[in-house]
Amino acid sequence: MTLPVTIIMIEDDEGHARLIERNIRRSGVNNEIVSFANGTAAMKHLFGADGTGLAQKGNALLILLDLNLPDMSGIDILKQIKENKYLKASPVVVLTTTDDSQEIKRCYELGCNVYITKPVNYENFANAIRQLGLFFSVIQVPPAAS
Amino acid sequence: MTAGEQRRRAFWQILLFAAGLLVLTVISAGSVYLVNKARDDSKWVVHTLEVENQLNALLLEIRRAESGVRGYLLTRSENFKTDHDKAVAAIVPALDRVTRLTGDNPAQREGIEKLSAAIEIRLGQFTQEMDLVRQGQIDKATFLMNEAAAADTTAAIGSLASAMIQEEERLFRLRTANADRSQTFAASMTGIGSGLVVLLALISIWLVRRSAGARDDAEARLRDGNLNLEATVDERTADLREANDEIQRFAYIVSHDLRSPLVNIMGFTSELEELGKDIFRRIGGLTGVPAGGPPVDVADIPLDGPDKQLSADFSEALGFIKSSIARMDRLISAILNLTREGRREFQPEKIDTRDFVETIVSTLAHQSAEAQAEIHVEPLPNIVSDRLALEQIFSNLIDNAIKYLRSGVPGEIRIRGRTKLGYAIFEISDNGRGIDPKDHQRIFDLFRRAGTQDKPGQGIGLAHVRALVRRLGGTMSVSSELNAGSTFTITLPIAWNASNRNADK
Repeated sequence: MTLPVTIIMIEDDEGHARLIERNIRRSGVNNEIVSFANGTAAMKHLFGADGTGLAQKGNALLILLDLNLPDMSGIDILKQIKENKYLKASPVVVLTTTDDSQEIKRCYELGCNVYITKPVNYENFANAIRQLGLFFSVIQVPPAAS
Repeated sequence: MTAGEQRRRAFWQILLFAAGLLVLTVISAGSVYLVNKARDDSKWVVHTLEVENQLNALLLEIRRAESGVRGYLLTRSENFKTDHDKAVAAIVPALDRVTRLTGDNPAQREGIEKLSAAIEIRLGQFTQEMDLVRQGQIDKATFLMNEAAAADTTAAIGSLASAMIQEEERLFRLRTANADRSQTFAASMTGIGSGLVVLLALISIWLVRRSAGARDDAEARLRDGNLNLEATVDERTADLREANDEIQRFAYIVSHDLRSPLVNIMGFTSELEELGKDIFRRIGGLTGVPAGGPPVDVADIPLDGPDKQLSADFSEALGFIKSSIARMDRLISAILNLTREGRREFQPEKIDTRDFVETIVSTLAHQSAEAQAEIHVEPLPNIVSDRLALEQIFSNLIDNAIKYLRSGVPGEIRIRGRTKLGYAIFEISDNGRGIDPKDHQRIFDLFRRAGTQDKPGQGIGLAHVRALVRRLGGTMSVSSELNAGSTFTITLPIAWNASNRNADK
């Protein structure tokens, strides 16, 4: 079964979202990107109205997550995703301005797959995203638990 | 209590003490003098009595001799004769004694002379009478006796003696009065002196009690003050810690939140740059290609004239924006690193300082070789401190020393150490370009630099080093002159204890 992978982007900064999207597109990834500007909306989409995550059962997702969200901490979202049996197989890429090693360590402990610091050096950033895009196009996102 | 008041009180106490001492001395001296005087006076009184006594004894002996003669005349009993002889024998020594005793008094001496003469006459009469009685010439003896009685030698003696006795009595009264006066004087002096001493003692006690009271008050106030001070210090420390934590959090959040828009600015600036290239390529395509000609690759068409100028201005503006963004990002990163450093818990461990510094020096070997600098590490005292912090301190300072050498002068960097009163003092000195004394404070400020700006740097190193040294319970200072090298001195506790900092976290 090869369902197209949907990219879920949880990013409150519109500019960042736009930049990320552009770079993903530039790297030739044409998967659908669903954007959320706050945690609540993203959680509702991911876990559904009943909060069980059943709504996403069987969907192939890739989650781009910013840690600094206006309404909740990205860490919490990451934790809940990785604790949910339907969502935990989805790769999560943390994309944030924080380069604090403690924070990075914590994210990996919670099961984040890739941690990317948003650098101000745009070339690096663009490269990172493009590589990520290549990575998206290569990897076969494992089907979510059925 | 003011200092003046205290001084005045102390002065009064010393004065009182001195007065008491003086009074005691005067009383002692006076007492000794007066007691001596009283003893003298008493001696004189006794002397007078003795003289009187002796005079009376003399008179008694004369009377005994007289009555002995008379008894002998009447009874011719040998008993009376013996009695008379004994009495006559006693008269002369008695007279001598009186003479000796009254030797000091001219008036009495005169009396004695008269008395001696009278007694001599009387003794002569006695001898005559006795001789006559012994020879049996009773009549003649009786006559002589009557004659002697008529001449009244005895009475004369009596009156002379009584005059003398009266004189002595006068002296006795005088001397008794004298002795009494001395004694009264001594007694009153002792009394008044004692009274004074008691009075002074009372005043002293009063003063001492008053100052003790004042001292107790002051002590109580001091104790209260101390308690308050401790409470205040605790309160302030807590406030400061809170404020510091808040600043740290603030700096952390602000630098993070500043970064977010910066990512956008940089990102879209780069997008703009790309766009700009596209736009100018198109302009080139529109203007440079002859109308109706075959399509050519736009990238190959060079711009000219005002279009070229526009493109250059555009690129220049973007270049400034990008370099400013890069600079801002570096500053934000620096603040982030500093706050992160401020949040890190220090772990004290034993450090072989010389070994440790040698290691740092070896990691900087490349730079020092490039700068033709020699680094000498002298023996350094070992300390207990946080390894990472210490590493940052030393590598920053040594790195600075290498970085700011004088061009053309072989560098010589020296690291020395010594201990003093529980602190280790490290000196990192160089023969580099030095720092103008007016910049000595400035170089420790964040983002501030001094001297010729020909080396890359953010103005963070020394601020960071000083913050670390302070956190390690030490101090740091610089001594330097322009073109005369610099010496940075770090004073750190030999045995830094994390507890005295972490405990109050």
